[in-house]
Amino acid sequence: MTALDADSALRTDGLGKRFRQTWALRDCTLTIPVGRVAALVGPNGAGKTTLLRLLVGLLAPTRGSVEVLGQSPTTNTSQALSRVGFLAQEHPLYRRFTVADLLRFGQACNLRFDRDLAQRRLSALGIPLDRKAGALSGGQQAQVSLALAVAKRPDLLVLDEPLASLDPVARREFLQSLMGAVADDGVTVVFSSHVIGELERVCDHIVVLNHGRIVLSGDIEMLLAEHRMLLGPRTTNDLDRSPNVIEAIHADRHTTVLVRDGAAPAPGWQPQPVSLEELVLGYLRRPAHHGTGSTTRESGAEA
Amino acid sequence: MIWLTWRQHRAEAIAATAVLLVLSAILVIVGLAMHATFDQNIASCFDGSAVDRDVCSTNLQAFQKTFGSATTALILLNAVPLAVGALLGAPLLAHELETGTLQLAWTQAVPRMRWLAVKVVSLMTLIVVLTGAFAALITWFRQPLDTLYGTYDAGAFDVEAIVPAAYALFAFTAGAAAGALLRRSISAITVSLLAYVAVRVTVESGLRPRYRAPLTLVENIAAGSHGIAIGTGNRSDWTLDEGFADAGGRHLASTDINTFDDAARDAGVSLTTYMHDHGIQRWVSYHPASRFWEFQFIEAGIFLTLAAVLLAVVVWRVKRRAL
Repeated sequence: MTALDADSALRTDGLGKRFRQTWALRDCTLTIPVGRVAALVGPNGAGKTTLLRLLVGLLAPTRGSVEVLGQSPTTNTSQALSRVGFLAQEHPLYRRFTVADLLRFGQACNLRFDRDLAQRRLSALGIPLDRKAGALSGGQQAQVSLALAVAKRPDLLVLDEPLASLDPVARREFLQSLMGAVADDGVTVVFSSHVIGELERVCDHIVVLNHGRIVLSGDIEMLLAEHRMLLGPRTTNDLDRSPNVIEAIHADRHTTVLVRDGAAPAPGWQPQPVSLEELVLGYLRRPAHHGTGSTTRESGAEA
Repeated sequence: MIWLTWRQHRAEAIAATAVLLVLSAILVIVGLAMHATFDQNIASCFDGSAVDRDVCSTNLQAFQKTFGSATTALILLNAVPLAVGALLGAPLLAHELETGTLQLAWTQAVPRMRWLAVKVVSLMTLIVVLTGAFAALITWFRQPLDTLYGTYDAGAFDVEAIVPAAYALFAFTAGAAAGALLRRSISAITVSLLAYVAVRVTVESGLRPRYRAPLTLVENIAAGSHGIAIGTGNRSDWTLDEGFADAGGRHLASTDINTFDDAARDAGVSLTTYMHDHGIQRWVSYHPASRFWEFQFIEAGIFLTLAAVLLAVVVWRVKRRAL
């Protein structure tokens, strides 16, 4: 067990968080190994932000437990805090601070803050140190926030929707910066997003969240290997009962089925590899309580 | 952390200091003139060395005409602790909640209780220094006025000595607690302002007269005098109530006094003689001037206790991550 602990950057067990009457997150059991770049995806309101805030100790769990780098984030000690970098949604900064002030803030409030590194990164991006944070563009603010989080030299970097407010050019630059920053250090990264398209290039692990529950989690390569898209003549027989069938899409003349764990294709069914996007959407379209059965959809003529 | 606190709040701190410096300059200029006039024309009337009562009376009238409005203006300075406290207290958590920067602050390597402790202690120190120094200046400014009107006056007790700092700490913690609960600066400022006024009015009118049991002065009416004295004879005492009592000590209603007027006229004697002959006594319920400091400490204690309770609310909210 201890060997496993050493290898996981974070673990949650039966984690749940309730706000008044509503459960934002429930029964969340999850392990992310050290060194992974993990994407947390799901529609808006799926509980992504709640999960990330629980990971960095901004929230305390209602149920279950979280362990980040071997410690509970709620202990709130300097040591534990210094090992986790966090970039909150909308990358909040003190707007009246200059960039230089923000770096000084980072240095004053952290144990191993690398101000030179942050300064180099920002000047490479052409962000002036004497500019007020409020006067920077959204993309520049995101870069400053990232520079602050990375300069902590964290073992775990948690980013909440870092791409959401950025234009396509800024997104690309941001992802480049992120990948450049974490490439050499073996830092574990967890970031949330509701766009799946851009993730495949940068992530090797994925967690899919829907209605406050984890519907899929694992290394992307392994998940893609485990799933197949089966294409065959239109049928509605029995498909939905098998636990291995994630989703069945029925078109006019044929049926496409997303299956897990090498369910042997019946004669007449053609197996096809599945893309990450199809995989994620297949799981997101399953009903909230997915213990049994899959989604059956009537698809339009284009299928 | 202290640097962060200073960097985040320096605009408010500098603005508050600047406003207080301007007010202080006005107080010093007016105060020097008032002290000079008082020492030259009035002081002798109170230490018994004055030669001419009429000159005293004329000088006093002139003094009151010139500087009387200062007493009224001083009541406005009651707003100083409120402004200093609420404007620093309400945004403490609410502003960072609104802008999301609390997520930035609380994910650096500073545990949030230390973050809160440094901020609260630094800002409270600033508040005590600013309001304490300003209250000391007002106390100096009011010396002549205190000699004339006493220190229990609404324009005196509330702005002198140690209570202003206690009021300001109360306003600060009320703002901070309201901000922690309501999560909006504007709502927090509004709520703490209303709470401040409500508590101040309640304490001032409901509790302050009861900090100690009042003393009672009972005095026979001097026969044949031109008028009936009022008060205790010491301008600095705080008269709560006064009236007349019959020989048995029963307090008389004002309607009873009116009957004395008629009865005196019927008997053909002056009112005072009539009252003297019938054993009517005059009574005054009051707090002596010597209780000023005791009352200051009691009132400051009340507001500091309230501030401690409100601070506990803030600590509780921050500690249990309920923000």
